Amino acid sequence: MLHCVFLLSEHGEVMLEKQWMGQQVDRSICSWFWKQLHSGAKGHVPSVIAAPAYYLLHIVREGITFLACARSEMSPLLGIEFLGRVADVLSDYLGGLNDDLIKDNFVIVYQLLDEMMDSGFPMTTEPNILKEIIVPPNLVSRVISVVTGGASNMGRILPSATSSNVRWRASGIKHANNEIYFDLMEEMDATVNRDGFLARCEVYGEVRATSRLSGMPDVTVTFTNPSILNDVSFHPCVRYKSWEANQKLSFVPPDGSFKLMSYRVKNLKNTPIYVKPQLSSGEGVVTVNVMVGIRADPGKPVDSIVVQLPLPPAVASSDLSANHGTVTHNHNTKISTWNIGRIPKDKAPCLTGKLHLAKGLDRLHEYPTLLVGFKIMGVALSGFRNDKVDIEHVDYRSFKGFRALTRAACYEIRT
Amino acid sequence: MNADNRKGELVELKNQLRQLAGSRAPGVEDVKRELYKKVISYMTIGIDVSSLFSEMVMCSATSDLVLKKMCYLYVGNYARGHPDLALLTINFLQKDCHDEDPMIRGLALRSLCSLRVMNLVEYLVGPLHAGLKDSNGYVRTVAAMGVLKLYHISPSSCTDNDFPAMLKTQLLQDSDAQVVANCLCALQEIYLAEASRSDGSLKDRDSLYTTSVIYLLINRIKDFSEWAQCLVLDVVSKYVSSNPEESFKMMDILEDRLQHANSAVVLATIKVFLHLTLSMADIHQQVYERIKAPLLTLVSSGSVEQSYAVISHLHLLVLRAPTVFASEYKHFYCRYSDPSYVKKLKLEMLTAIANESNTYEIVTELCEYAANVDVAIARESIRAVGKIALQQYDVNAIVDRLLQFLEMEKDYVTAETLVLVKDLLRKYPQWSHDCIAVVGNVSSKSVTEPKAKAALVWMLGEYAYDMLDAPYVLEGFVENWAEEESAEVRLELLTAVTKIFFKRPPESIKMLGAALAAGLADAHQDVHDRALLYYRLLQQGVEIAERVVNPPKQAVSVFADTQSSEIRDRIFDEFNSLAVVYQEPSYMFLDKEHRGPIELTEDTGILPMDSKLSNDVLPSQHVEANDNDLLLSASEREESRGGVGNGSYAYSGPDLSGFDTPSPAAPSNNASLSSTSHTSPAIDDLLGLTFPAAPVPTSPSLKLKPKPLLDPATFQRKWSQLTIASTLDHTLSQPAALPSPQPLLRHMQAHSIECMASGGQAPKFKFFFFAQVADSPPSTGFFLVEFVVNTSSGISQAKVKADNADLVPAFGDLFVSTLRKFGSS
Repeated sequence: MLHCVFLLSEHGEVMLEKQWMGQQVDRSICSWFWKQLHSGAKGHVPSVIAAPAYYLLHIVREGITFLACARSEMSPLLGIEFLGRVADVLSDYLGGLNDDLIKDNFVIVYQLLDEMMDSGFPMTTEPNILKEIIVPPNLVSRVISVVTGGASNMGRILPSATSSNVRWRASGIKHANNEIYFDLMEEMDATVNRDGFLARCEVYGEVRATSRLSGMPDVTVTFTNPSILNDVSFHPCVRYKSWEANQKLSFVPPDGSFKLMSYRVKNLKNTPIYVKPQLSSGEGVVTVNVMVGIRADPGKPVDSIVVQLPLPPAVASSDLSANHGTVTHNHNTKISTWNIGRIPKDKAPCLTGKLHLAKGLDRLHEYPTLLVGFKIMGVALSGFRNDKVDIEHVDYRSFKGFRALTRAACYEIRT
Repeated sequence: MNADNRKGELVELKNQLRQLAGSRAPGVEDVKRELYKKVISYMTIGIDVSSLFSEMVMCSATSDLVLKKMCYLYVGNYARGHPDLALLTINFLQKDCHDEDPMIRGLALRSLCSLRVMNLVEYLVGPLHAGLKDSNGYVRTVAAMGVLKLYHISPSSCTDNDFPAMLKTQLLQDSDAQVVANCLCALQEIYLAEASRSDGSLKDRDSLYTTSVIYLLINRIKDFSEWAQCLVLDVVSKYVSSNPEESFKMMDILEDRLQHANSAVVLATIKVFLHLTLSMADIHQQVYERIKAPLLTLVSSGSVEQSYAVISHLHLLVLRAPTVFASEYKHFYCRYSDPSYVKKLKLEMLTAIANESNTYEIVTELCEYAANVDVAIARESIRAVGKIALQQYDVNAIVDRLLQFLEMEKDYVTAETLVLVKDLLRKYPQWSHDCIAVVGNVSSKSVTEPKAKAALVWMLGEYAYDMLDAPYVLEGFVENWAEEESAEVRLELLTAVTKIFFKRPPESIKMLGAALAAGLADAHQDVHDRALLYYRLLQQGVEIAERVVNPPKQAVSVFADTQSSEIRDRIFDEFNSLAVVYQEPSYMFLDKEHRGPIELTEDTGILPMDSKLSNDVLPSQHVEANDNDLLLSASEREESRGGVGNGSYAYSGPDLSGFDTPSPAAPSNNASLSSTSHTSPAIDDLLGLTFPAAPVPTSPSLKLKPKPLLDPATFQRKWSQLTIASTLDHTLSQPAALPSPQPLLRHMQAHSIECMASGGQAPKFKFFFFAQVADSPPSTGFFLVEFVVNTSSGISQAKVKADNADLVPAFGDLFVSTLRKFGSS
């Protein structure tokens, strides 16, 4: 059970606290925690640690630390997952996460935390239901409040889902235009090792749905090649038995947007683009040469290609240039960024230049890792594809849409 | 904002609120809202605004929900500190509890229960009763939690008003799943607290874990919210299934929970599965296969915080089923963006799952980290390579890689590698040729860390024949004796110089003299003693000295494990708990109700919670502490021997514990590191003869060795390996005769039962005894006893473990008869 949650700003200041138990946890725990966080190397404090009288769980999102205290044994994942959900809900409500947004909207944040947990146990965290209890501070509600004069950002009705037998969907939902969209979003994780071999390459995918359908629709989605998936997990609305029997997604959707399913496809043979770095050092200078090109054409253009080169501490200065795209260097983070965009038809993009090592160093002993980003619209890299969508139990025609997008999440090239 | 300013603002606010209190003017709500917001924002940044309490309450008569909520929030925060003023709020909260809007009813009830003021408890009972019977589910969920809050304020008024029984009824009958979940949550807490408050019986709580309740919960599992599912699954994991069919049925219903998007639900489900199949070995194995994919997805797809917690669990599972994850090693490759605590854990995973099939790939990967920008991770990865090398048979390729590290010319890489090469050579002497060739090229000047220096010096001494310039390198070290700060290095240097003297005397005699002279003059007592010892041994003759200092060596087969299997088993019972993330069983750091039957920490007083926790910043540091917990430190042991002991342990280095003890006739073959300080068993036996003869054992059927010898590490290893052969209950005739452990220790010692460790405070003491069958070889025929005695009641219990289980009954008789004599003699 969580005793309380503190929201800490980027500088460790307590922006907000919410206590759920009779015995309040003193704020001083936050300064203790902050000291731990900054007493050693970066990233040395695990997400679960012990303080003198409590167990502290924390996550960091957009620079804001969500810190929770527990006093007795509990499931660590429950705590971490809950904090993650708090961050998601706040970011959804406030349209982002930063110190100012939280400070400006503290009343909303309090209301949300109050509904999300009671007596240290998570309660309502489904955004669609929360929005029925507490209206988000967006433009729409502000307009309404001005017009009606009732400036309350508070839902006047109790969430009808609590009385519905499908707990994620209210009864009697009506839309003028009935539509449901699906977004297939895939992220590629890949590591190329020092010898140029693809050490691993996996795809994590999500199917996000946005449903604006009236009544109680029963939706079935089929895919052309569900067998390529290694592991799947579903939104609570999905009937697992139907998936198990014939790999069909059958569900009554929540209203609004939600994550329908996520999946993993392992051991892809190829990455769509290759990045080949060559670093040779001697006499205090490292000669850099990085080539980028298409390896396995995904069928659609590969966009927004970016190669980041975090320079090791031993590098004093850099002098890099490219035959295509722009090269920038951030002196604070010591990261050189090569923005390529799309690969041109007529030439192979190439980054060349020299890194000068700090005085007294002859060769480079720590090898940098290149981080590559790209985006492919209209294609799911794993090859996962939708087949069709059926909607039953409704008497209207509805619009159905499918989109796909692939991004590089963690594409690393070691040198 | 300075103090005066703030005070001024508060007074201003107070006045404004007071003016608004009775006003019904249009737009007054808006003004109020602004003022409330200001007050709450002060509260949020930690300014004490409790002085506005009465004004805030006066303004609380409003129909605006946001205003109400802000007011509830304020009141909840300050009521505890102002119990008298809190009474003012009761009126409007009670009124709101009868509002026609169920949301207001719910909110008011929640706020009412959150006041937590002792003398207002009477006002809670009525609204709670009504709340539990409310027609709206939302109000009932609030009421169920309200009962728990009431219990926390005043347990007696909760139980006296029969609330637990009402919750139980609601649990079985309510149509709203969230109400059921909240009842379950509240009841569990209440029953647990009740048990510790009254007779300690968990009868009530166990009534929740009956077949009917469990089936009811499982059948509705999909109605529950994801968090309630976690709660329900946790309850289900405590249920003991009566037969395999039942287990299968339960798993069948719950299987799709493994596909849930919420990681907490997945982990809770896995716990249920593991528990249901514990007694079915083959199914248990299938469960591992089934849970593999979901767990690996959680490792790589979620946030870093999540993957840290999940990998901690995987680490635990791997210890039980190493092969399951062997083929999935790529999931534990470090990503550039992983924080170092995740990287460290991944390295541990890679080490744990390395086997014949994947070693090559894993070691290749680990070697890339050695050039990592993060020095700590680079070091860890080299150590990981070494650990894998030490646990594998085919180390051919690994040795090559390790040697390549030495060519990287990076100080810390060289240092870590030298330590590893030393360990490798101790285990695989056959590689000496390749290793020494490369180590010989390492410039001694580039080695600065004590551990690495000591390793290098050891290798120079050990392989003096293979390294031509060994005497000259060592000479350099001896010349710099005064500058060498580390006693470890100086000790090693003494041994190495002495060893090299046996092998290449002409080149090293001068250096030996210099080293011994420097050692005798050394301020560090161990260094001084070792120098003196070598000196005297050499006086006895070079051959004798060589036989002691540098006998032929046997390869080390197993290095001591760091965490006992008993502790790992215990953690396993606590799957899906914080304990797993800490890699320590929770009884070591959490409150009493979670402690198991072995209350070692309490008994010995070694680990009082606070001091433990204040040191407890990072989990992995405590592995060593764990080992020490089981047995008291050497000094305490000496004390408990009451001066009768022979002091033979005084020098026994802890790192020798994992070594095989050779036959008694030969001197210890592990003496290379600290040879002279470790007296062999044979010599101990000799010394033992000079002591007064021990009394003849009383039981004719079993003769015990008069002075059995067993070092703590071996004791601990045996203790964790053996199972309890017998449990003896005995009531001491004169319990009062035991104000301190010493008399009992002396008594048992007089009957050839030695004490390994003791601890505790009156009236509860705990002892670890051991004894050995007479005429048995040195390392066999031991009896190990854990003995717990309560001196006020005289009740005692002994758990006996033995190398030879057949002799346990005879030993049991002997033990009890010895106990019986205690106090009467």
